[in-house]
Amino acid sequence: MLEQQLINGLTLGLIYALIAVGYTMVYGVIQLINFAHGEIYMLGAFFCVTLITAAGLPFYVAMLMAVICCALCGILLDIIAYRPLRRAPRLAALITAIGMSIFLQNLALIIWGSRSKPFPRASLPAYLSEQALVMGQVGLTWLQLFIFAVAIGMMVALFLVIHKTRTGTAMRALAQNRTAAALMGINVNAVISFTFALGSAMGAVAGILVAVYYNTLYPTMGYTAGVKAFAAAVLGGIGSVPGAMVGGVVLGVAEALGAGYVSSLYRDGVAYAVMIAVIVLRPSGILGRAAIDKA
Amino acid sequence: MGHLNKRLLLLPGLALLIYPLLPGASDYVLHVMTLALIYMVLAMGLNIVPGFCGLLDLGYVGFYGIGAYTAGLLTIHYGLSFWLIVPLAALNGALWGALLGAPTLRLTGDYFAIVTFGFSELVVLFLTNEIWLTRGPLGLPGIQPVTLDLSWLRPDWYFEFYDKAPNFYLAALLVALVFFVMGRMEDSRLGRAWYAIREDPLAAACCGVNILHYKVIAFSISAAIGAMGGCFYARWSMFLSPDMFKFWESFLVLCMVVLGGLGNIKGALVGATVLVCLGEVLREVLAAAGLPPETRFMAYGLIMVLIMRFRPAGLFPAIAASGRANPLLVVLGRRIAAGEFSGEKDDARGTSA
Amino acid sequence: MAPLLELQNIRKRFGGLVALADVSFAVRPGEILGLIGPNGAGKTTLFNCITGIHAPSGGTILYFGQGRSMRTNGFKPEKMTALGIARTFQNIRLFNSLTVLDNVRIARHCRTCSNFLGAVLRTRSQRAEEKENVEAAMHWLAFVGLARHALADSGSLAYGDQRRLEIARALATEPRLLLLDEPAAGMNPRETRKLVDLIHAILASGVTVVLIEHDMKLVMSICQRLVVLDHGTHIAEGPPAEIRENPRVIEAYLGRGAVHA
Repeated sequence: MLEQQLINGLTLGLIYALIAVGYTMVYGVIQLINFAHGEIYMLGAFFCVTLITAAGLPFYVAMLMAVICCALCGILLDIIAYRPLRRAPRLAALITAIGMSIFLQNLALIIWGSRSKPFPRASLPAYLSEQALVMGQVGLTWLQLFIFAVAIGMMVALFLVIHKTRTGTAMRALAQNRTAAALMGINVNAVISFTFALGSAMGAVAGILVAVYYNTLYPTMGYTAGVKAFAAAVLGGIGSVPGAMVGGVVLGVAEALGAGYVSSLYRDGVAYAVMIAVIVLRPSGILGRAAIDKA
Repeated sequence: MGHLNKRLLLLPGLALLIYPLLPGASDYVLHVMTLALIYMVLAMGLNIVPGFCGLLDLGYVGFYGIGAYTAGLLTIHYGLSFWLIVPLAALNGALWGALLGAPTLRLTGDYFAIVTFGFSELVVLFLTNEIWLTRGPLGLPGIQPVTLDLSWLRPDWYFEFYDKAPNFYLAALLVALVFFVMGRMEDSRLGRAWYAIREDPLAAACCGVNILHYKVIAFSISAAIGAMGGCFYARWSMFLSPDMFKFWESFLVLCMVVLGGLGNIKGALVGATVLVCLGEVLREVLAAAGLPPETRFMAYGLIMVLIMRFRPAGLFPAIAASGRANPLLVVLGRRIAAGEFSGEKDDARGTSA
Repeated sequence: MAPLLELQNIRKRFGGLVALADVSFAVRPGEILGLIGPNGAGKTTLFNCITGIHAPSGGTILYFGQGRSMRTNGFKPEKMTALGIARTFQNIRLFNSLTVLDNVRIARHCRTCSNFLGAVLRTRSQRAEEKENVEAAMHWLAFVGLARHALADSGSLAYGDQRRLEIARALATEPRLLLLDEPAAGMNPRETRKLVDLIHAILASGVTVVLIEHDMKLVMSICQRLVVLDHGTHIAEGPPAEIRENPRVIEAYLGRGAVHA
């Protein structure tokens, strides 16, 4: 069953990677752990389901619109909560991020109720629930292939945006030195907004994929997923986009193997333990820069 | 201003202190008041890390849980006295604080925040899954209440703290003790080293402060106070379950600290009182509106965001004391007011020194 | 006479960037040594290496302040402070929300020793130490002329006063060697004159001073010797009059061609 565990882990890992990219990009440009990112992921799933059930949109259209809504939410989050604190101590911004995370989570609880909902499967294209490949005991569903394709496609697109567009160059410049970037005529706030939009969109996609994959969504889903994705970002090296991708996949596989071979009770514990171990032993992560406090 | 504030705080404080003695004191009100006192202990303890050292600690409830389960298990299995368990639990908390802090406090603040979060989640997972020790999700019932055995002084002086009122006074005693220790630490070499780290770590190091050392001390003391709070909670509620120590509790205590003003000891007391009362009110309001009680955290989240944005020094910045009552500084203030140093000319440095 | 501090072939690299390349010179006890050079020459990096903020990538730092030679490479900043090297910062780094007195009291950290128990029990020795600490802090505040502002918030001080408070804070650690990083930056002429008096008084109290400064008039007037850095290398050393005439120095400041013009 090792192969099956690996495939399940890979699926989960790619989803973690999608969320982790959002953490790492925002951290890159404003050095803030955006704790509310997990809530954007949750909102993505809820927007999508609401658009399907209430507005009767087809799955792909609803998914696209939910992603756009989340990108806007990300921009709003930055403008309302974080932008006024750019010059405040980092502690203030961190506390605000925690506060926003809890606020959004409970807002969702009030709007959609605390019970977990099933994903409206009727709206899904029928092929998604069929087996695509069966090799001996190992099966791969079309849904898993869909997740692979979407996740890898988004990552490639993100890579192109960061490395081939002017805005991407501006983002990288901002990550290096905000003051210098501003002096070079980069509109700092616009680039930060763009980063939030991009990260939130990726998070929303992840939220929708998870809701489809596990056939469930609930207002607190962003909580554990957010922390695990953050662990993935740390594992890969915070601030590094390829690192977040690698970290997500490694963490997803480690978690699947840990749950399968060690103890499923500590399934979530694997992520936390990996995170603490990485932070303590190699804070720069697999592909990142060192983050030890000067002096 | 200072006197006014003192009176403002003292009068209702005194009124509340005699409330349990009044005939017809409501058990519910006493329960809420005791809860507020426990949160005061926790808020003061947490305050050390973000308030004094400027580091975000999201795992405070982990130490609270460690203290509570230490107390619960020692009581159930060994029947130890509360008065012995309090220092043991505090030591256990401090030990875990040092173990977690020593390797992680050299990291930047954000990493530290997330490590503490992971730690407290691991504590909950441990309490849930290690059924042989903690009975897991079933919880730990039947913890004996606090007893005070003074029969060696007088044969009939043996007290059991079953009633609400004695527990209230015990909690008040704990608050007074922690408040006293906090005040003493704040106005000392230790407290100043912490402030220096909060304000500018590099300059602090160049002033001779060993940053890692003092951060670990701060984290351990904070953990010890959290564990003491948990210790009292275990003997008071007589039942523990892992659910009581989830991240929400850390968040709530952090919100109290933020509301009262980071680094403000009296502010932490006010923050705890306000939020415990608000929690009770919201519980009623939300139940009437047909909403689940957890949604009250929306208000807490909003409070945190708004305070950080508009009143970063907390609700009542004026009640910060920061050791100005110290006789040394009072004397110095008088000397300055008397013009002892006004002889310094602006353009020639006083060479008398 | 034995030097107080001797730098031998100090190198510092940041990734591919060489900030310091084989810098060697000695600081003699009781002198004012000026460290000059164009922006980016590595002067502050050198201070950071001496005070333990950076560990040098190569070379040896020898410190003689404790009566014997000590190799202090890679010592932590707090250790260097305890050994008797204090500094100020180019961009003022005060503890802004604390009082002027507390800024200086914190600097007494390594000259005091009370701990958690002393603080909580407020023992006799702790109280004595606190009293002594306030006295010492007030002494240094009076020394720089800020005693009457002792209970004000340090962030509320005028710019020149903040610079002097930083010097008082450095002096309160009781150093043998004081490193001043552009102390006159942003000061008006009157404040600069006061600073010159202050530096002379510091020297008279037995503290050796190394000074980074861009105000050439100030440097030339108070320093006994100058060391010139350019692009991380040591290009000249000597009394101000010599340095002023040194073609390599003129070239470093004004660019190639200036010498022949």
